[in-house]
Amino acid sequence: MNKIMYLEFERCIGCRACQAACRECGDHDAKERNYVEYVDFTESRQTFPMLCMQCKDPACARVCPANAIQITEEGVVLSAMEEKCIGCRNCTFGCPFGIPKFDFETNKMYKCDMCYDRTRHDIAPMCASVCPSDAIRFIDFDEMQQLRRKRTQMNLVEGKKPQEGNKWDYVPEFFGVYTDSQS
Amino acid sequence: MYKFEKSFYSKTSMYSFGVVLILFFSMWVSTSKFVHIDMALLGYAISSAIFAIGLTIRMSFWMWRKATNRVAKRSVNNLFNKERLKRNSKAIVITFIDNIVLQKFIFQRSLYRGIQHFMISWGCIISFGITFGLTFGWMRFDLIDPETYQIIVFNVPTMKMAAHGLFAEIVYNGLNIGAIMVLIGAAMALYRRITNYDVKVTQRFEFDILPLLILLAVTVTGLILTVLYTFLDGWMHHYMSLIHQVTVIVMLVYFPFGKLFHVPIRPLATAVPMSYQEVVKVDTKACKSCGQPYSNEDQIADVQAILKSQNFDLQLSDGTYLSDYCTGCRRRMRAMKQMNLEAPKGNPYGPVSTNNGIHISGFSKKRSEDFYGIDQDSKEETENEPVSR
Repeated sequence: MNKIMYLEFERCIGCRACQAACRECGDHDAKERNYVEYVDFTESRQTFPMLCMQCKDPACARVCPANAIQITEEGVVLSAMEEKCIGCRNCTFGCPFGIPKFDFETNKMYKCDMCYDRTRHDIAPMCASVCPSDAIRFIDFDEMQQLRRKRTQMNLVEGKKPQEGNKWDYVPEFFGVYTDSQS
Repeated sequence: MYKFEKSFYSKTSMYSFGVVLILFFSMWVSTSKFVHIDMALLGYAISSAIFAIGLTIRMSFWMWRKATNRVAKRSVNNLFNKERLKRNSKAIVITFIDNIVLQKFIFQRSLYRGIQHFMISWGCIISFGITFGLTFGWMRFDLIDPETYQIIVFNVPTMKMAAHGLFAEIVYNGLNIGAIMVLIGAAMALYRRITNYDVKVTQRFEFDILPLLILLAVTVTGLILTVLYTFLDGWMHHYMSLIHQVTVIVMLVYFPFGKLFHVPIRPLATAVPMSYQEVVKVDTKACKSCGQPYSNEDQIADVQAILKSQNFDLQLSDGTYLSDYCTGCRRRMRAMKQMNLEAPKGNPYGPVSTNNGIHISGFSKKRSEDFYGIDQDSKEETENEPVSR
């Protein structure tokens, strides 16, 4: 398995199908774990989808005093273990991307787990499988590399050159799950 | 003190030594110099000591974590702050009643889970209390006259009770009552674990189901023991008691290293009302960007210190940290950075320009490939991929 979650914020049309799909996912308890938000509502109607980056060294797990946030062998950062979470919300403040959500009633944190039961079997997560404008995609690593390259080339054609300081502005973000098995 | 510490292999082994010493001393005191020790429970006593050592090791390592250490330290400091007396006592009492006695938050998750957990936890607390009390000799019964028992706690005679009174029966059957509660709760939990598809997403056999099986083994063998001596005149009682002893030892040794370790870390939940969010859902610290309250000063200071001590560089160019912003603003900052839409330099809070000059042929703006003239190049590149990614 070598699949990548690929986000292109510009493609988001704000339909929130990903959030509706997220609510339907197993173990999500009818609550969405992803975000669709306006960049700046007073300027434009541009929205962007936001999911967990599934960091290799997650800040949320590092600031958790109960050691409740676990990472699976595939590299997916799971929600806080329900029996350990003490409900301090450190993870929501520690996360540099503002991803974890907190439920005060049941006293637990929940966050995007990339639909673990689906991606574990190489099936696209709920949000990626419903996105009508391909703002969220679940694609092969090679396909992702091609998309990134194409995007960079496009910017070059249009007369913009990446420089050392801003070269990352010219490629969209990618993140996902890596494993070594190449079968 | 430093020299004393250095005479041990590690701090953890020093703590373990201390715990075992305290246990041994408490046994020595409460059995009046081992006169009243119950030799039949020696196996339990030794495994309880192993349990105590395991728990000490796990707690030490848990407390050694930067995050836990910081949160616990602040809570302990606050605990001995006289100005916070009212807040502390309120926090401790409310957390104790809500989280440990009534376990309200689990009942919120669902009634079934609430009942299941309530049964297991209180059954275990009753059973553990009686088991440890008897094995370490902290509690024993003395016959002072043919009709009256006296409960002796830590070698101090306390209350007397009629040998066949109602209270006495409850005390004698305490382990049975606990066992039945655990049996009901663990069976409910096992049923849920097997049938519910939602919990199957992240459950692991060795972590989520094994402890239930161990608890069931302990309770079932313990209850069979009761059945054997009440209805079958102690038939096979000796062998069964050995089997029960083995299951209990397995559980005690497993306890600090598996899922059951969530029990000793739960008291840290008092830290939340004590040092962080005093009233539920009431925040006091405002977001640097949007001004909405999202947290409180102490907690953000702790989070920043924890992250800093673990080399997370989350400081922005204007000196603020990402945790100074509310979650919504943090998400927006990331998206704007990605889309190259950040506010002009010099005024991070100023209006943003949503036109960054970069055009992407999106789904509505497809141009033919020859417009770019890069078709050939990209084909060549897919065949021999560049080495650096």
